[in-house]
Amino acid sequence: MSNYYAVNPDRVTELAKSLFQRERSLDRLDGWFFIKEIQMRCDEMFNGVTPELKSAMTLLEIAKELPLDIPTDAVFAGTQRDAFARSYALINPSFRVETFSGYCDPTAVFNDIEPSDDITTDRIAAVRAYNKDSAYVKALDEVYSKHEKFTDEVVFFVEQVTGHLIPDMRGLLATGVNAAIAKLEAKIATETDPVRKTNFEAMKLSLSAALILAERYAEIAEDMSKNCSPEDAERFSLMARTLRVVPANGARNLYEAIQSYVLLWMVMCIEQTPNPFAFSVGNADRIFEPYRRAENLSREATAALLKHFLVFFNVGDRSWAISQNIIVSGRDERGADLTNGTTYALLDAFYDMNLPQPILSVKLHKNTPDTLYSELGRFFFTPGCLTPSLFNDDSLYAVLSKSGVDTEDLKDISIAGCQEPLIMGKDNGNTTNSWLNLGKILELTLSDGVSTLSGKRIFPSDGIISASERLKNIRELFYKNVERYAAEMADAANDASKAVSLLPVPFLSTVMGGIESGYDVRDTVHQGTKYNGSGCLIHGLTVVSDSFVAIDCLLKDRPQDADRLIRALSTNFQNDGEFRQYLLSCPKFGNFDKTADSEAAEVANRVADIVSSLKNYLGNPFRVDFSTPSTHLLYGYLVGATPDGRKARDMLNYGVDPLYGDAHNGLGYRTLSVFALPFEKMNGGYASHYGIDPNYFKGATMEDKGLEFKERVIAPLFFNPEGPPVSPFYLYVNVTTAETLRKVLAEPKKYAPSGVYIMRIHGTFVNFLDLSPAIQNDIITRLDPQSTFL
Amino acid sequence: MCLVLFQKGFNFSQDGPGNRLVIHLQGCNLQCPWCANPEGMESRLEKCRGVDHFKRWSVEVGELLKEAVDCRPMYFSGGGVTVTGGEPTMQFEPLKEFLRGLKAVGINTAMETNATSPRLPELFQHIDFLMTDLKHYDSKKHCEATGSGNETVIRNIKAAVESGKRIAIRIPLINGFNASDSDISGFTDFLSGLDKELFTVEFLRYHEFGKDKWAKCGLEYKIENGFVSADTVNAFIKAFETEGIKIVRT
Repeated sequence: MSNYYAVNPDRVTELAKSLFQRERSLDRLDGWFFIKEIQMRCDEMFNGVTPELKSAMTLLEIAKELPLDIPTDAVFAGTQRDAFARSYALINPSFRVETFSGYCDPTAVFNDIEPSDDITTDRIAAVRAYNKDSAYVKALDEVYSKHEKFTDEVVFFVEQVTGHLIPDMRGLLATGVNAAIAKLEAKIATETDPVRKTNFEAMKLSLSAALILAERYAEIAEDMSKNCSPEDAERFSLMARTLRVVPANGARNLYEAIQSYVLLWMVMCIEQTPNPFAFSVGNADRIFEPYRRAENLSREATAALLKHFLVFFNVGDRSWAISQNIIVSGRDERGADLTNGTTYALLDAFYDMNLPQPILSVKLHKNTPDTLYSELGRFFFTPGCLTPSLFNDDSLYAVLSKSGVDTEDLKDISIAGCQEPLIMGKDNGNTTNSWLNLGKILELTLSDGVSTLSGKRIFPSDGIISASERLKNIRELFYKNVERYAAEMADAANDASKAVSLLPVPFLSTVMGGIESGYDVRDTVHQGTKYNGSGCLIHGLTVVSDSFVAIDCLLKDRPQDADRLIRALSTNFQNDGEFRQYLLSCPKFGNFDKTADSEAAEVANRVADIVSSLKNYLGNPFRVDFSTPSTHLLYGYLVGATPDGRKARDMLNYGVDPLYGDAHNGLGYRTLSVFALPFEKMNGGYASHYGIDPNYFKGATMEDKGLEFKERVIAPLFFNPEGPPVSPFYLYVNVTTAETLRKVLAEPKKYAPSGVYIMRIHGTFVNFLDLSPAIQNDIITRLDPQSTFL
Repeated sequence: MCLVLFQKGFNFSQDGPGNRLVIHLQGCNLQCPWCANPEGMESRLEKCRGVDHFKRWSVEVGELLKEAVDCRPMYFSGGGVTVTGGEPTMQFEPLKEFLRGLKAVGINTAMETNATSPRLPELFQHIDFLMTDLKHYDSKKHCEATGSGNETVIRNIKAAVESGKRIAIRIPLINGFNASDSDISGFTDFLSGLDKELFTVEFLRYHEFGKDKWAKCGLEYKIENGFVSADTVNAFIKAFETEGIKIVRT
């Protein structure tokens, strides 16, 4: 590598910061629209070839035609900007909880582009109309039409999953695209199965897209090197030379490895334009460490280059490519720690840049060195700084091993998007395929199938007239409905997966095991990846369990009020505040109350068993994921009042957490409650959040506080010798107070002079100031100090 | 046998070593005007019922013991159970049974007390870590402020130190009560007579975190300016350390 990057880390950092500012100034993202136009043209041009080959040939055309440039402050060539639209709801200022629609319309993205002189209304309308008429959109339309009755008020919801995977780029980085093409050519020569043969051909073609982009970028870089200062000339010359080496060949140093990675990632995202959210990197520290070590690059110089790598994940004015996850650290199969030099350099890069994307996750385990905890302290205790998601790698090993993952693959457990554990390069988990709303099912079970919000009949009547009988049998009735509608949900989810399989992804398949299997990642008939499943995000766990407990209390204390409960729920406790207070006073999960905690465990167990018994399009089980990525708000808005005292349209509980305000005995009792839950069954992940007051930590330095955080929060939850057999494995935190956040909102210039104040929502972090008011409020509400005082 | 509680929760290192389940027992024999938990003063459960602002409840000792055992996962970093108040010795018999039960199952015990109970030494064998107040070295002033003299307090502190018990003496520093220059020697004269290897001292600076609760209890908060400066605290620390007394800062 050029000495330039080794001796100029400050300059490289300066460039990274100015590159980010340049990206933040972009208030138009038009690339995806150009790509859609090219795709439209290619559909006609390649009419008659197989879908796989058509995808690959289209990708080549895009690589040839897509307008490219290299910003003057870039160190690497390549962008994922052209794969994303300004769409993502939660950071869209116009987002309102009330307007959520239970429908994933792939043509809705055309509403997210403002017409301009170049991109006229007519052009937009033409592409929209063309897409509306595509087999893919028609197939999806059919799924939603068929299940509309249940998706309208979200008994369940399904979506076609794009993005949300973790490619394994290590092979391509090490030996280059040419070697992979050679391997595919050998396979094509000997393959007799026509489907696999075609797939290999499509994969081979698609890899060439990276070579085309590399050459085009090399030419641009070369031109740029001719008309600039000597320092810039050196930078752009190196870029041009490098692009003629990688990704065609294996990388020899960190600079080449990152350049190669960036271009490969760019092609992967373009292939799924628009909006392949949540593609994730996996263990970036392990991916890049061999290249850093090869030249013994200093921590500072490594961090400087990685800062550009991080900027790459930020798209446009609000970092629209959301939920792209980078994980660091972790253990091997013998329990040895795998933290390395790149881990710490990457942490330095994250901290210094403090960008809204990508997401940082850390795998911790019993043998994690204290140095790592010390170095994490600055993230937790710097106001407005990003905080990593925390994973217990010991538990993840246990959960995924039980789920069928081979021992040799466990060290490659990574996180796709927010908190979903997958095996890098080997696992198509369809993580956000289905969404089950236990709160709505409970409401409809109590109301004999009629929505208390809209008055629409959604479930057929069960014929039970007596309120008392209904309440006495509530569990049986509820679980029966869960079984019935979860099965319907699985059908819908599988149909959505079949719809998206009409758009094969040969390039992605090359980094997901396709070169070995010969099948496309999205193939619904042949399994293209070593592991496969479909995700089910389960909502409303503790609202339901606390409701069962409240019903039990009612039947015991005041059985005469059974009718009154049903009436109160249908009127949202109107004129019956006293009755609501009674329900609120019943035991609630999160306070180490045995009754409430056992009930939550029982609901989690039974629902997990129902979900994991469902089969996806390949006959693999659905994966149990108790996470609610801000959908506790959206779905809560569509759920009537519940017997735990929660009012209609109020949020559901977040993930496996107590409903805000229900746990009021501090973090110790809350943690003990959490231990009751069956984490071993949550093979699709789960969500949990602690809002922690920084004033509880008294260490003199950030490093000391990092160790305190380990001792007082992480170790008791994750590595407790007296804890459950499989300990909790996920946590995200916001270390702040509601008062602080209100001040930031009231005086952003004073408290966030850079315009960026990072907070976490679910598994991703975001610029708090970019969020819609509803989500800002949700963060403040769920800080819920009574549930986490230390 | 029951214990009456008015608060419980976990706390780290402030009420004994490690992470601890801190159980506040109802009732106190003193009337300290700076008390941060005035709701804990009232001894009789019946009289407190109907007070909206504060909860208090009665628990069988066996039930509380079971809960303490179930809470074991949270006693990390050398933690355990701390009993405090109010003044825990106001419920002496059930308290003794509770502490004995905790020791029987190997749970680390700590107690925070005003040390006015003549029976306090009976509990020493059941307590791993004793935290005791020494509000004033002068009995008359002690009595004027709290309603009780300090003779028993002095006797209990001596007994605790002589028993070899690990003991932390806490001195609340309150302007106008015990924080003048002349008070320094009053405290050190007494403490220097004890084996300094066997106890530590912690100064608790006056605060008003509990002031609002006095009004909610329908009580008048009478202290007008109890705050002490950092310089005052440092002067106490310096003088105590000069005497060879170990100071703890939390």
